Amino acid sequence: MSWQVNYALENVRKVPRVTSAEHVHGDAIKITVHNQPDVLAVISNAYTITAELATQYHQEFPDMDFLCGYRKECVWEGGAIRYLEDNTIGWGSAGTLSSAISTGNAKTAAHKEYVFSYRLIRQLRCIMNIVREFDRVLTVNLSSGCTLRIGMILDYEPTADAVRTLWDRFGPVDIVWNINPNGNPTQNAIEAGRQLGCKVVKWDELKTLLQSS
Amino acid sequence: MGRAKDALAKQLMTAEEVACYLLETCGSLAEFESFMFGSSLSAVGSDYDILIVGPSGVSLTRLKSELRAAANELPLDVLYMLPTEAAETEFVIREGCINLWQLAASTKR
Repeated sequence: MSWQVNYALENVRKVPRVTSAEHVHGDAIKITVHNQPDVLAVISNAYTITAELATQYHQEFPDMDFLCGYRKECVWEGGAIRYLEDNTIGWGSAGTLSSAISTGNAKTAAHKEYVFSYRLIRQLRCIMNIVREFDRVLTVNLSSGCTLRIGMILDYEPTADAVRTLWDRFGPVDIVWNINPNGNPTQNAIEAGRQLGCKVVKWDELKTLLQSS
Repeated sequence: MGRAKDALAKQLMTAEEVACYLLETCGSLAEFESFMFGSSLSAVGSDYDILIVGPSGVSLTRLKSELRAAANELPLDVLYMLPTEAAETEFVIREGCINLWQLAASTKR
């Protein structure tokens, strides 16, 4: 049994109303929840989930309800997200899987760390189109004709390292959005953004920026 | 060596075991302050939250590489802070962070 399946089983069994969680084969586990259909979750140790990888998992496990990227640093490419959502397969972190099991929506769940922010920004009237390049990187076209690339950081207090790491991993962004409603970016994080050429902001400032760009 | 490492990581490790493992495998930790925080201190959680405090630069790049290798079969969530950020946020006190050396020492008592 792989290490990530081992950890996932240990943690899923602690979720309320889960009556059993068993290894099926490969990276798949079957979770039985009181008064709900069983959930077949695939627990990946990948650092990046691509559309190709999501497709491979789906071919190996046609009844997959949820694909879990177990590593905290796991990145989901936009193509993978579209593939999974088009096939009614939930996706996200270990925390997302636990929440989805609790609420009985494993097939439709999306990465809990980003789902609220993604929903929030889509509601802005000034946004004409959004391309989700990665789970945390969006390119938005505004009604003004302006296009902005936005990177989301969910840390409670984003650090300079978090800003630089996002930039190094995903390339230049115009805005780093601290999506955690609690806490604030550190002064070093804001300064790192300034040196790189992007703003590090919270939601209120982002909204103002988008509406005035 | 590789097989022993695999076997070690495949077990569900306690916080103290993780501290020992990281200190043994990541030599560059000696150049930084390192802590564990969060729920993994009290029980096996979905991952282990690690805080590293120290300067950016070559040493940090080396440490990141070592930690990434150490986390090949271990769920680590690592937060890197500059000393000024640690002071600004008072993160160590606020989150009840425990020094990795202290954690590791507690297994040897």
